[in-house]
Amino acid sequence: MSQTWLISGPPGCGKTSWILEQFKVHRGPSGYLRLTGYPDEGLAQARDGGLDLAYLSDQCPALLDLGDPDQALAPHPADLLALIELPQFHPPAQPGLEGVDRRVLPQLQALHLTPDRHLHFGRDSELPQQDTLDFSHLQAWSLNLNTTVWDPDSLSSFWFELVNGAYGDVYRAKALMNLPDGRAFFCNWMVSQEASQFLPLQLLSPPDGRPERLSRLVVQGKDLDPVAIEATLRECLLSDAVLELQQAPLRQRHTPPTRSA
Amino acid sequence: MAHAVISCLHANLAALEAVLSDIDQRGIKTITCLGDLVGYGPHPNEVVNLVRERGIPSCQGCWDEDIIEGLNACECSYPSQLAERRGHRAHQWTAEQLNDDNKAFLASLPMVLRRDRLVFVHGSPNSQHEYLLPDMDAFAALERVQTADADILFCGHTHRPYVRELRDGVIRVRVQTPMGSQPAAERETAWPVRRIVNAGSVGEPRHGNTHATYVIHDEATGNVEIREVPYDVERTCRAIVEVGLPPVFAWRLRHGFEYAERADDASHVCER
Repeated sequence: MSQTWLISGPPGCGKTSWILEQFKVHRGPSGYLRLTGYPDEGLAQARDGGLDLAYLSDQCPALLDLGDPDQALAPHPADLLALIELPQFHPPAQPGLEGVDRRVLPQLQALHLTPDRHLHFGRDSELPQQDTLDFSHLQAWSLNLNTTVWDPDSLSSFWFELVNGAYGDVYRAKALMNLPDGRAFFCNWMVSQEASQFLPLQLLSPPDGRPERLSRLVVQGKDLDPVAIEATLRECLLSDAVLELQQAPLRQRHTPPTRSA
Repeated sequence: MAHAVISCLHANLAALEAVLSDIDQRGIKTITCLGDLVGYGPHPNEVVNLVRERGIPSCQGCWDEDIIEGLNACECSYPSQLAERRGHRAHQWTAEQLNDDNKAFLASLPMVLRRDRLVFVHGSPNSQHEYLLPDMDAFAALERVQTADADILFCGHTHRPYVRELRDGVIRVRVQTPMGSQPAAERETAWPVRRIVNAGSVGEPRHGNTHATYVIHDEATGNVEIREVPYDVERTCRAIVEVGLPPVFAWRLRHGFEYAERADDASHVCER
């Protein structure tokens, strides 16, 4: 029997990580949808731009994209686990399905999705509790980085500065970043965590020019300085000439695109 | 007699003034500077002027050399593309600000200063760009001191102050003659205790907090004291932004980070 769960919670509470864990233990097919979420007073929602879906799809190659009407409206397998992620700053007023934000219902109905369960981080004990923060003010800023490739050491320096406050008080940062050797990393940081996660994607790109996969930076915090962030970014990204210089030796020992071990 | 050794001022006037005040309060008259008077910081002319006014003997640091010679270090000098771009911008800004008289002064600085058995260098006796790290191989470290013909080698460049004592050094040489015509000649040399003293950094500390560091060496007792001096960091940070240097330099200085990251392979010496 298929299951459709709505998983909500504030930024950085671990929604996507928890969803990934469920997909990994579920024996049947899985589907994922990320709803946009709604801003609250002084609280801006991040523009994810498909970042979480890209990461989950890399980790679970057979994952159904339920945001794609063709996949969402097609007949679903009987044992489908459909997990719907909803960024939501404050706990629902009502328990269980009664607490689902009514504003998301049209989005779900358009895709013929009806949750049979609703779990909210910070409310439901089934979910991890430790990273649930209550925000009173939050800016959001994101940047499309498609086709960009980072100098690896510069990425390390930039990320260190970003999450330690060089460009404003960052509470939450996540990104998919490409490296010249064809690897990409899901970079993940939350102010309540001691350290960043740098999770390698399974799918490697050939070291032959700029990768086609999604790349994006999403930041939430206070007093953010997007101009300074972008200025630093520009100094970290590789030019065509430097990229070619680094990739040329790699191509000689390259095998066709594959998944990392 | 006690003397003070300062290094790596990096155009940080507030830090230099605080350190000189600390030295003066201790009645110390002899000061030696290990170079890098300029670079990254917002007051290159003011710092050079103060060193000249005080008549402080200085050797030439890597930044002092690069400002005069032009930036021709290979890419290995920077740990990342980001650090390289920032370094180049700081270099260009400093080169534009420094007046000709101060450039000529920096050009005149020697690579090595010597006072009896005390030798003063910026990086190492080999190069202004070589880092003598505290965990450097003991034989290599001893070789640097011995090559300089010093009892104590004072250096900077790493921005982290330390005192390293090299004792029980023995070099054993065995010379084998061809075809075994004669017995192998052996020679064993025991080296007396040598020391490397790193003065840290006045203007760009990298020891974990924002205080400027320098050292005081008492020649009578042999004691070396590493001094930490608080100074008006915000004054320098404000100036960094006001003069148009990258604001991230101010952020890094304010948090006790160096302006630019240190290279992963700090022992690497650029072959120019």
